[in-house]
Amino acid sequence: MDTENTIDRLARGDENRLAMILFLISEGVFFLFLIIAYAFFHASQKTGPTAANSLEPLTAGAFTVALLGSSFTMWRAEKNYARGRVSAFRSWLGATILLGSIFMFGQGREYFGLYQKNVTVSRNVFGSSFFTLTGFHGLHVILGLISLLILFGLAFQRSERPQQSAVRTIALYWHFVDWVWVVIFSVIYLWAVL
Amino acid sequence: MSGVPLFPEAPTLRLAKARGPASSMLTWVATVDHKKIGIMYLVVSLIFFLAGGVEALLMRIQLAIPGNSFLSPGTYNQIFTMHGTTMVFLVGMPVLTGMANYLVPLMIGAKDVALPRMNALSLWLLVFGGLFLYFSFLAGGAPSAGWFSYAPLSEKAYSSSQGLDYYALGLFILGIGSIVAAINLIATIILFRAPGMSIRRLPLFVWMVFITQFLVLLALPALNASVCMLLMDRLLNANFFVTASGGSALLWQHFFWTFGHPEVYILVLPAFGMISEVIPVFSGKVIYGYEFVAGSTVAIAVLSFLVWAHHMFAVGMGHPIDTIFAIGSMLIAVPTGIKIFNWIATMWGGAIRFTTAMLFAVGFLVMFTIGGLSGVSFAAFPIDWQVTDTYYLVAHLHYVLFGGTIFAVSAGVYYWFPKMTGRLLSERLGKQHFWIMLIGFNLTFFDQHLLGIIGMPRRVFTYPDLPAWGTMNMISTIGAFIMGVAVLVFAWNILSSLLHGEIAGDNPWNAWTLEWATSSPPPEENFDLLPPIRSRRPLWDLAHPDDPDWKHGH
Amino acid sequence: MQGGSILNPTSALAHPIAHLFLIVGVIMAAIFVLVTMLVLYACVRFRSKDNQIEPRQNHGNAVLEIAWTVAPLLLLVYIFTITVQAMHRSDPDASENRPPDMAIVGHQWWWEARYLTSGVLAANEIHVPVGKLFLVRLESADVIHDWWVPQLGRKMDAIPGRPNLFWLEADLPGTYLGTCAEYCGAEHAWMRIRVIAESQADFERWTAQQLAIPSVASLTGDAGSGSQIFQRLTCSNCHSISGLQANITIGPDLTHIAGRQTLGGGVLVNTPENLAKWLKNPQAVKPESLMPDFELTNDQVRDLTAYLETLQ
Repeated sequence: MDTENTIDRLARGDENRLAMILFLISEGVFFLFLIIAYAFFHASQKTGPTAANSLEPLTAGAFTVALLGSSFTMWRAEKNYARGRVSAFRSWLGATILLGSIFMFGQGREYFGLYQKNVTVSRNVFGSSFFTLTGFHGLHVILGLISLLILFGLAFQRSERPQQSAVRTIALYWHFVDWVWVVIFSVIYLWAVL
Repeated sequence: MSGVPLFPEAPTLRLAKARGPASSMLTWVATVDHKKIGIMYLVVSLIFFLAGGVEALLMRIQLAIPGNSFLSPGTYNQIFTMHGTTMVFLVGMPVLTGMANYLVPLMIGAKDVALPRMNALSLWLLVFGGLFLYFSFLAGGAPSAGWFSYAPLSEKAYSSSQGLDYYALGLFILGIGSIVAAINLIATIILFRAPGMSIRRLPLFVWMVFITQFLVLLALPALNASVCMLLMDRLLNANFFVTASGGSALLWQHFFWTFGHPEVYILVLPAFGMISEVIPVFSGKVIYGYEFVAGSTVAIAVLSFLVWAHHMFAVGMGHPIDTIFAIGSMLIAVPTGIKIFNWIATMWGGAIRFTTAMLFAVGFLVMFTIGGLSGVSFAAFPIDWQVTDTYYLVAHLHYVLFGGTIFAVSAGVYYWFPKMTGRLLSERLGKQHFWIMLIGFNLTFFDQHLLGIIGMPRRVFTYPDLPAWGTMNMISTIGAFIMGVAVLVFAWNILSSLLHGEIAGDNPWNAWTLEWATSSPPPEENFDLLPPIRSRRPLWDLAHPDDPDWKHGH
Repeated sequence: MQGGSILNPTSALAHPIAHLFLIVGVIMAAIFVLVTMLVLYACVRFRSKDNQIEPRQNHGNAVLEIAWTVAPLLLLVYIFTITVQAMHRSDPDASENRPPDMAIVGHQWWWEARYLTSGVLAANEIHVPVGKLFLVRLESADVIHDWWVPQLGRKMDAIPGRPNLFWLEADLPGTYLGTCAEYCGAEHAWMRIRVIAESQADFERWTAQQLAIPSVASLTGDAGSGSQIFQRLTCSNCHSISGLQANITIGPDLTHIAGRQTLGGGVLVNTPENLAKWLKNPQAVKPESLMPDFELTNDQVRDLTAYLETLQ
């Protein structure tokens, strides 16, 4: 018996990357609802602290540049690892971690400043939706940084280096976290000034 | 038989190779084998089914007579909340995920799922989430704002016990487990099909599971976002749903039902898949209109995201919005109807064998039709303006979720139990189970349509002594206990068949899909050799070399 | 009296819904009979027999599929049309300029009803003249509730911070029972409604009586003591009695409590014995209701009951 009738060529795809893509779709929906909540309240919040009177878009923009830069460095890291250039991979990965950390530093600085101005999660609906949305994003960045650090550590081993699949999968996550921030940044900071 | 070696690059399982007796506890706890994980999903859902059933019986005792004081209002309200939450999240979803977990790799000719360790993770998240939710009974009280916990009742100001914190966090954990399982099943179906198993040849159960997992992927995160916001409100004094500080009670409803409507299709599509396997086999005929059954599933999936606000017709959204959602809600009846007609057409001209599985499948056809039709009455929304939030709605939801999903799952259990355990369930006990359940179920829920029509609202711990209210409630309570007897017969059937059931063999039903091409139960890597796959019914083709399906282009 | 059936409408607003329900119901019943007959026929006619040859493997028929897609669609178009008609008839649009006639506020677990023209303040039980169309503004003071009187029309949610408008009208005299229809907490079951429809003359009499301010000075004996207890024991912090303290809506207004048919949102029939029972321990009658147990002595209960019974 034979199977020459079958047309399918089952490309032996990478189940890790596919799983990560599917996971990121679900994460996208999660963030979408936090964004919708933010947008809904932005339209209705007229008094007290708001995006317009509490946030500093330029500063946030600067730190955003760092985060987006980390997406670029991650991409370079991926490419180098695919070509087997491990030490270049390590350097680019290190840069990614550094830029991601700078972004988190910026987030922390912003949160501290807001807290000092008594803009908190319980203050009003702006506070609630702002801190929830940016907070969950920051949490995702931290988890990403931890993953990158683990990858970084593993990359120093002589044997049992991370598989290509692992690097590409984590890279996907990191890119998602960076680019979902573009949407969040636009909805929160850009919309505030328009 | 000659055949094709198993998909060569399917993952080999280096973990948890049993060295001792195959059924040692540690093997089960540490396993990443989809078959064991699937069975554990089913065991967990059965345990919670019994818990949810006890909750239902307690409610029915309280409601048997007007003005009853068997349960205090506080206790009753916790119980009805937990009954709904349990049945949706700890029974309905897990039993379907468990069946999918067990069957999908077998039906597509794979050794296991794509990510076996993640599979184990999703199971243990279910167990942890369920225990966490039930722990609330011991921690000051279970949640008592209903399974959909409308704001602001769910806020701390009106629900000060910790029950709702357990609800929110418990659902969050369960949601992650469901999403993880969905990712795994999608990846498995996309990447791990055996050569020849094209998408168009997938058994309908696999197809329905496939579509359902996309619904899970897109709907559960909406719930997770909502419960996160609720937790922020309750634990950190945020204001998402607190009207007094600018929040919106309605926002919760919109968000919840954006999850909640796809959720009911998550609870029913895999059941449709089981029916689509059982009816053809016991009619001796191929499924009628495969493409239409499959295609209508996609239509249902897409439409399911567009009808959420039909749960909110009484909120006062205004006629234009009500009308738009009514259109979608009416349209979604069409693809469902198509399936019913195709299943009947499959039986038509067949040679029907009335095994217990087939009895439940036929029962499903009639019961689900009742539930589906009452659903259409809601879509004609001035009717909804009268009957929503009454016992008419309680009747509707039980006809679709019990008469629909649970009857279909029962059919599936009688059909696939032999494959999973190597033994047949007793047909004698099975028929008793079926008839007692059919009578009990209809006795419980049919008169609830009437109760709603004569004014009884839902979620009430008691009711005034108005004409016929007491009588109809008493009938419903008697029916519930009859259902309980049926469940006991079922449980007894399972236990005694596990011990003494007739040995099943590879293919006791003369069925046609790949899971029947291996031993019962299957070996660890599922197949020694696969039959050639040139159509939707590989085993039919083998048994009919003069008239295989692929000659007809199927 | 019955609980109020959707299929026994007594309002121009409820009739269109009952009518729609009957038509849709007949259609649904017909489809059900058709499906069930087909299933049962198939079960009997196509039961497998011994030594039967294998049935013909029919993979499907596209024309039939189209037929049973289009037919239901056409039926749904018809149902949609009559749905929109019923929508307009049972829930007519309110003009922007018409002010509401009544304001109803849902509380945990009682209904506050304020007649905006006359100023009457009622709780749980309202009177309406037969045939008059009221525009009601509905809101909630706490969680989401829902006003539902099946014989008089649609239900409508009472949402905090988001008032809704609905129409209320009764064609025939009678007492129409309703209930809260959105789960609102512990005592959702006892948030019942009575709409008493009467002639215009009777309604005006009732209105006048509701507006009369009871005099405290003329009370003697138990009732006199009772009125003093009412003020001394902080009852008036939650319950207003015209002439003593108005416009408190934490608990129902009690100015005319003796004239109501039920107590506690429907949990008790209104008799002096039941009133005493409520006062003795409201938590025993309606657990978790917001009126605490004041641990009154039997004498205090007797006096308070006597006083409240004077408030017709």
